[in-house]
Amino acid sequence: MPLFEPAKAKKQLPPSDKWSVTVERNFCKACRFCIDVCPVDVFQWSKEVNAIGWFPIEVAHEANCVGCMLCYQVCPDFVINVEPKKANAPAGRHEIKAEGAA
Amino acid sequence: MIAPSVAPVRLVAPWAEWNTRFTDGRRVLETGTFALTEGAIAAGCRFFAGYPITPATEIAEHMSKRLPQVGGYYVQAEDELAGVHMCAGASLAGLKAMSASSGPGYTLMHDAYGWAVANEIPLVIVDAMRVGPVSGITGAPGQGEFYIARYCSHGGNIESLVLSPDSVQETYWLTIDALNLAERFRTVVTILTDQVISDMQEDLFLPRSADDLAQIVVPRRHNTEMPFYPQGSDAIDVAPNVVGMGTGVCVSAYTHTPEGYDIEEMEAHWDQSIRLINKIRRHRGELLRYEAVGLDDADVIVVAYGATARTAKTAVLQARRAGVRAGFLRLITLWPFPDELFTRDVPYVVCELNYDGQLVREVQRAAPARDRVHFMGKSAELHTVEEVLRALDGVGKGRGIPAMPYIWTEVR
Amino acid sequence: MANRLVEKYLRPSQIPTKACHGCGIGMIENWILQAIDELGLSREDVVFITGIGCVGRQTYATWGGDNVGATHGRALAVATGLKVAQPDKKYVVVVGDGDAAAIGTSHLIHAARRNLGVTVICEDNMGYESTGGQFSPTTPAGYVMNSSPYGMVEPSFDPCDIVKAAGATFVAEYTAVQWMQTKKAIKKALQNDGFSFVHVRFQCNENFGAYALGTRDTVANIQWIEDHTRGVDREGKPTEFTWETGVKHDASNSRPEFSRLLRDLNSRVAGNHETSAGNGRGGHD
Repeated sequence: MPLFEPAKAKKQLPPSDKWSVTVERNFCKACRFCIDVCPVDVFQWSKEVNAIGWFPIEVAHEANCVGCMLCYQVCPDFVINVEPKKANAPAGRHEIKAEGAA
Repeated sequence: MIAPSVAPVRLVAPWAEWNTRFTDGRRVLETGTFALTEGAIAAGCRFFAGYPITPATEIAEHMSKRLPQVGGYYVQAEDELAGVHMCAGASLAGLKAMSASSGPGYTLMHDAYGWAVANEIPLVIVDAMRVGPVSGITGAPGQGEFYIARYCSHGGNIESLVLSPDSVQETYWLTIDALNLAERFRTVVTILTDQVISDMQEDLFLPRSADDLAQIVVPRRHNTEMPFYPQGSDAIDVAPNVVGMGTGVCVSAYTHTPEGYDIEEMEAHWDQSIRLINKIRRHRGELLRYEAVGLDDADVIVVAYGATARTAKTAVLQARRAGVRAGFLRLITLWPFPDELFTRDVPYVVCELNYDGQLVREVQRAAPARDRVHFMGKSAELHTVEEVLRALDGVGKGRGIPAMPYIWTEVR
Repeated sequence: MANRLVEKYLRPSQIPTKACHGCGIGMIENWILQAIDELGLSREDVVFITGIGCVGRQTYATWGGDNVGATHGRALAVATGLKVAQPDKKYVVVVGDGDAAAIGTSHLIHAARRNLGVTVICEDNMGYESTGGQFSPTTPAGYVMNSSPYGMVEPSFDPCDIVKAAGATFVAEYTAVQWMQTKKAIKKALQNDGFSFVHVRFQCNENFGAYALGTRDTVANIQWIEDHTRGVDREGKPTEFTWETGVKHDASNSRPEFSRLLRDLNSRVAGNHETSAGNGRGGHD
């Protein structure tokens, strides 16, 4: 199953609000990996340029986050932090089916 | 046989005093390579990485035997470039380290040399010179790395410390001195010896007690805080940096900041160059080592270093006994070149073991009259006393060095 | 707030790195830090040694502990001196395909032969990207790069085969879409008291992507990596080659480590040293 999907294929799921997603906007080089890999549309592009000349990502729908950690793993610039909002919070139970699974 | 002196011999070097300071020790008949190894160990060297090559092979062999006995480490590197990098790594981790080779291996070390100098890592590198180019003649002495030893890495912007011994005993003391200078100046010190001094056997005195030696050995210290590289400063006696003690030091392959970060700005490069060049230039007085006979009143001065200086000195002493006011200057510190020894406006006869002329060019530059500096180049064999006497005779009569078989006199 | 490992392990002044956007070097560094974190190691426990080229330069000085940036190809030679003199640290040697598999291959082979106790992370972007995109010994055969404008005629090789033959005691190969496997392999590698080699192929957008693949699009280039890891492309057709990933050799902790060998030698010799050899402190009793 390919990892990177364009944004329009994302599922819109009921928000779980169990995960905290923060970004350091001045580290982001706008590579697009997190936006394409996130299955639940947490990120969007910021409209304000950052300190290193890119339009970075920003957190749009933190409550959607299911804690899959794909964005955390795929980011090349240490931008993103994902942590459970409460200790021992379980991962999201929603079924996630990406479009076009191989 | 060394002729009895008819003029005082002046030796300017720490061992002029060390030679008489220690009385408790043992005497052996041994080689220059043995003396070099023992001197290094006496000075606290505990890591050697190198590759065998004539005439330096015995240094590696002695080290492989002695280092385990003193808790040190011998690594036989896959090549000389690896060897010096390993020594640099070991020195960074806190061990005094040394490598040794001859021309064909020395020439492979340059990248590592530059890296160690730029990062102020104390090291000693030995080049036991032999005839070149390339593999030349195995087992014949040469002096073809005079300039390479100064310009031992690409890119410029460094100064170099190079010393050269001319006897087995001196090799012992000089090696201790080289390791001391490496610590004090946080740099690579090169010992340029040659096949004759390496392989010959002479009387060697070894001090017995480590406590005695501690009086003359500069111990390794560790710098644990910023600045790791005091760029812009010419200070010496700064403790070497150390990796693995949690200091956060960075050791770079590029022009770097006082923390060791890469930086591409002119100002940082200027400050680094001031550090690397001036820490040596501004302390030249600490680095001058030489031997001289009759410099002050000589009508002609013979200049040489290493094995070449032995027969040259004998010739000068014989000439003196015959009433000729010849002088003799043996350089021990080759770099920084001791311009201050060439103030007298007299003819100089420069004897060296190469035909392309290296030391002679520096003497021509430093001496008051370039055209009064005569080149007496020979290769693969030492100058004979007879040849040097004939050169002194010719120059003394204003006719220059007479033509002699296998003696090169042209410098272009 | 950034990735929490930045504060724990990195130097803030060196982040963001000089790496291009979408480059895999930062991704792999994130996984190295996670492995270090999960093993409970601190900044003082680990020394990073890097080489020349993108992988070396973009990693150098990011680590919050000691960093050593060696000359091109010689990181393992420096690592040998460091490990022998100071064996109690973990040495993470981060080098590229040029540094490890071209100019530095001799030192790679001998470090593996000696079973030097370091962890080499060979991050492979299959070309000399820092100098603009020339081919390297790991570039796929036939590919067009800046110094193979008619297609690379030389065969390529896999450095994993070489280190395994030379005696490495842990060898693993993954790609830039295999973060969990890479992290696990790095943890195993760090726990091997011997020579560990983790080879990770990754995407380069500016050079390899541009010249060999015809695009600088970040997602397209990492998808090329993904396709050749899985063996199928976007349309479901088999790719022209597939990288064989996985742990290729695991003989962790089965052979004595090099600095251990030297120390054992010293113990043996100290037991029998001759009196003429010296008093152990450089003098002669």
